[in-house]
Amino acid sequence: MRRVLLASLALGAVLVISSLVDSSRAAAPTLVGKDAPDFALKSMDGTNLRLSEFRGQVVLVNFWARWAGDSRQEMPALDRINTTYSRAGLVVLGVSIDEDLRRAREFADAMKVSYPILLDTGSDIGRDYMLQKMPMTILVDRGGVVRYSKYGFKRGDERAYLDQIRELLRE
Amino acid sequence: MNPKYRVATIVHGAVLACVWAAGATGVAAATGAATTTAKTAAPTVTPSGAPTAPAATAGAAAPSAAPAPDALSADTKTLDQEVQGLKKDVIDLNKDLFVLEEELLFPANTQVALYVSMDVGTFFALDSVTVKIDNKEVKNYLYTTREADALLKGGVQQIYLGNLKVGKHEMVAFFTGKGPHTRDYKRGATISFDKGVGAKYLELKITDRVPKHQPEFSIKDWD
Repeated sequence: MRRVLLASLALGAVLVISSLVDSSRAAAPTLVGKDAPDFALKSMDGTNLRLSEFRGQVVLVNFWARWAGDSRQEMPALDRINTTYSRAGLVVLGVSIDEDLRRAREFADAMKVSYPILLDTGSDIGRDYMLQKMPMTILVDRGGVVRYSKYGFKRGDERAYLDQIRELLRE
Repeated sequence: MNPKYRVATIVHGAVLACVWAAGATGVAAATGAATTTAKTAAPTVTPSGAPTAPAATAGAAAPSAAPAPDALSADTKTLDQEVQGLKKDVIDLNKDLFVLEEELLFPANTQVALYVSMDVGTFFALDSVTVKIDNKEVKNYLYTTREADALLKGGVQQIYLGNLKVGKHEMVAFFTGKGPHTRDYKRGATISFDKGVGAKYLELKITDRVPKHQPEFSIKDWD
C-alpha cells in the first residue's frame, strides 16, 4: 500500500514538474499583439521585398534554417497553404537566416516552394523577432500586428495555422 | 529515514508544488479546481474581522435605481463627448511628445539629414544605398520596386537623420543596382563638408548623363 502511495506521489510530482516546464515554454517572450518589426530583404529571384508593403494582407512569415530539421517538414506544408490561400489575400514569406547563402539557396531549391524566399545574413531581424528556436512562424494581420507566433513544427501543426489564417482572412 | 516521515515529506512537497503551479500558471485543472472551491467556500471578512453574508442587498436595491431612458441617452452622449475629448488630448500629447523626442534626439545644432532623389533613371535601376560618415556605416537601405518607382516619380526620401559634431567630416555613399544593359553596377560618391552650428542637409542625387549613356551620382550640400 505504502509503495503504491509513494509511486502515485512520485508520478504526481513528475506531472506537476512537466506542466511547469510547459508553462515556462509558453511564457517565452513573443511579439503577439505588437507591431511586426519591418524588414526589407533580397529574395532568391533578386527582387527586394519589404514586409510593410504587404499591409492590408495577411502575412505568414516563416523563419527557417537549413540545419533545423523541422523546416524540411514545414516548408511543403506552407507551400500547400500558400497555393490554397494566396487568392484569398494570404502572403507567405520564407526567411532564411542561414549565413551560408549558397547552401541556403540549394536547400530552398530542393524544397521547390512557390512562395518567395528571402535571404537574411544579418542579426537585426533575429533580434527584432526574438528568434530563439528554429523554425519560427508568425502571422501578421492586415493592420501589421503579430497575431500568432510559434516555434518548431510537427505534423498536424498546419491545422492550427489554417484556423488562425481563416480567422485573420475573415477580419 | 523513517518511512512515515519520508511519505509526509513527499506529500508536503507535492502539495507545495501543486499550489505553486496553480498560482503560476492558473491552468493546473484538478489542483486549480480544488483550490478555487476552497476559496469560494470561505466566508468573506470585513475589515473589522467579522464575517458577512453574501451580498444580496445590492441586487434588491438595483431595480428602484434604474435611470430613465432620456437620462441614459444624455449620459451616453456626455460619456461619448468625454471619450472624444480624451482621444483628442491623447493625439495632442502624442504630437508634443514626438516634437520633444525629435528635439532631444536630434538637436538642431548637431543635426544632419540626408536625402535621396533620382532623376530619370534610364541608365540605372536602384537596388541599395550604403552611407558611411567618417568611415562608419550609418545606413544601409534596400529599395523595393515600389520605393524605386516613387523616387523616379519625383519623390525625395529622407534616408538618414543623425547628429554630428561641429567640424570637418567626410561622407561616402555607395549606390548598387543595375546599370546600362542591366549589368550589376556599383558606384560611390564622396563629399567632405564642414559642419557648422545649425542643421546640415545633404542630398544624394542620381541623374542620367545622357551623352555618355551612364548614370551619375553626386552629393549636394544644401547650405
